[in-house]
Amino acid sequence: MKKVRVGAGSAGWPDMADPALVSAERGELDYQGFDHLAELTMAILERQKVRNPTRGYIPDVIPLMKKLLPIWKNKRFKIVTNGGGANPEQCAVEVMKIAKDLGLVGMKIGVVTGDDIPVKQLDSLRAQGIKFKNSETGEEDIDRVKDKIEAAYVYIGADRVVEALNAGADMVIGGRLSDNSLFVGPFMHAFGWKYEDEYWDRIGAGVATSHLLECAGWSTGICSTQWEKVPEPWNLGFPIAEMSENGEAIMCKPPGTGGLMSEYTMKEHLVYEVHDPQNYLMPDGIADLTALKVEQVGDNRVKISKAGTKSRGKPRPKTLKFCLAHADGFIMTYIMVVSAPKALEQARRVEDYLQRRLKIRGAKPKDMLISYVGINSLHGPAAPMPKEEPNEVAIRFAFKADTEEEARLYQNEATLTWYAAGVGAAFTAPDVRPVMALWPTLVPREAIPTKLEMKEVK
Amino acid sequence: MAKKKVPLKELCFARSGDKGDISDIGLMAFNEKNYQILKKQVTPERVKAHFKDWNKGAVEIYEMPNILSLEIVLRNALGGGATKTLRLDQTGKAMGNAMLWMEVEVD
Repeated sequence: MKKVRVGAGSAGWPDMADPALVSAERGELDYQGFDHLAELTMAILERQKVRNPTRGYIPDVIPLMKKLLPIWKNKRFKIVTNGGGANPEQCAVEVMKIAKDLGLVGMKIGVVTGDDIPVKQLDSLRAQGIKFKNSETGEEDIDRVKDKIEAAYVYIGADRVVEALNAGADMVIGGRLSDNSLFVGPFMHAFGWKYEDEYWDRIGAGVATSHLLECAGWSTGICSTQWEKVPEPWNLGFPIAEMSENGEAIMCKPPGTGGLMSEYTMKEHLVYEVHDPQNYLMPDGIADLTALKVEQVGDNRVKISKAGTKSRGKPRPKTLKFCLAHADGFIMTYIMVVSAPKALEQARRVEDYLQRRLKIRGAKPKDMLISYVGINSLHGPAAPMPKEEPNEVAIRFAFKADTEEEARLYQNEATLTWYAAGVGAAFTAPDVRPVMALWPTLVPREAIPTKLEMKEVK
Repeated sequence: MAKKKVPLKELCFARSGDKGDISDIGLMAFNEKNYQILKKQVTPERVKAHFKDWNKGAVEIYEMPNILSLEIVLRNALGGGATKTLRLDQTGKAMGNAMLWMEVEVD
């Protein structure tokens, strides 16, 4: 049965480059996928592009390619990246300069665009009768935030990636290509899977395997329930899927690396950010993660196979995830640390003092949160109070404000709360930052035409 | 046999993540027996009561018998989501750990 080896190169921005280079060098890869985008990254890149039209891609792609392409020169695996961000065209121009300097004449690069929707175009989509209902709050359309929208991007699937690879691309550079599609694309290309009924089971397996790859080191021991057992995290190996044509995968990592590939590192990723596990929705298919069997089959080798007769996949959704980013006021945060004896009592007194001060100043914050780092800042109301007096308590103040001026008022009062603490309070630097909020919605697939352009290093 | 109460950390691992304002908490039981206990006693009502006002929306719990795990989905549970929340843990990575304080009855 045909098999391919697909490796993860990155889980976000920033990430470490060396594990990706180790995989490229020693992983016997056929494909390597690089995810650089988190939820808000596209909005940040869009802002950069507005200021300078030659920016807007992930800058780390450049130093990465300077190290990766010399390895690629000998290994010739295929590279898929969404590091093009808000400007894949310019990213390709820069990568081609590096390739040319390395003498990689004939290298083919596919550039995928169409995911990044110009804000002006939102009106024409609305004119077609499309409504952008907020999938979290239920708000029917974007009227309230329409004038504040700075970026709009669609999580697109692997269609153009497959097309580029079929056309002989050595590298595919896209923008908001969904993390998952960076790997599903290679599987579909390698095995000739199509978006048709006979393939949904295997595409479902591909979507699941891609999920296990897309967060890179998060499948090999980063942020792990197994952290105490993870060897040499400083020498972390990124995951590699040895994928078979029937959708069965052996998950592994390069020899001689740290990190851990075990049943638990796979299980803890199968439950990671998937919502309904029987319907893990991705642009290329819907995976049923309960139809998978997970078993350790060797040292740092885990087999992901079909558990029974149930299909591992269902047809891809008719809609795509669409994210709009808009400015949404300011957040002020400040931390002050109070010291024993009676640290907790001081913290409570400070909290009471601040409430009274805000009243005197006539301030009515839209939202505020005071938490005690070391006690309840991470677990909130689920945290039990400590049985013993803590040595110190870090009081964290967080305020929402409509304007920067309002945020500065909260900063002023929060930083002066040491007037109410006892002896020994220590200060930190306050922070006021503008908030970019996300408006998640769905858009019909056919309303988003994407484009592929093939380029060649001359 | 007399029942006793133990925190979830004695029965399973937990790992959590976010998508917008939704918190996803995965509980991975150490064995089949623990999985059965989780299935019976970790209910949406109990999870909602555990997180009190930090969880403002519905709670759904999905079973994954193939990996002896539960996927708990809490809506409107992260103070507005990573970019808007006032919480220190902007992406709710510690929500799973917070879940492990919850007590269940065992034999």
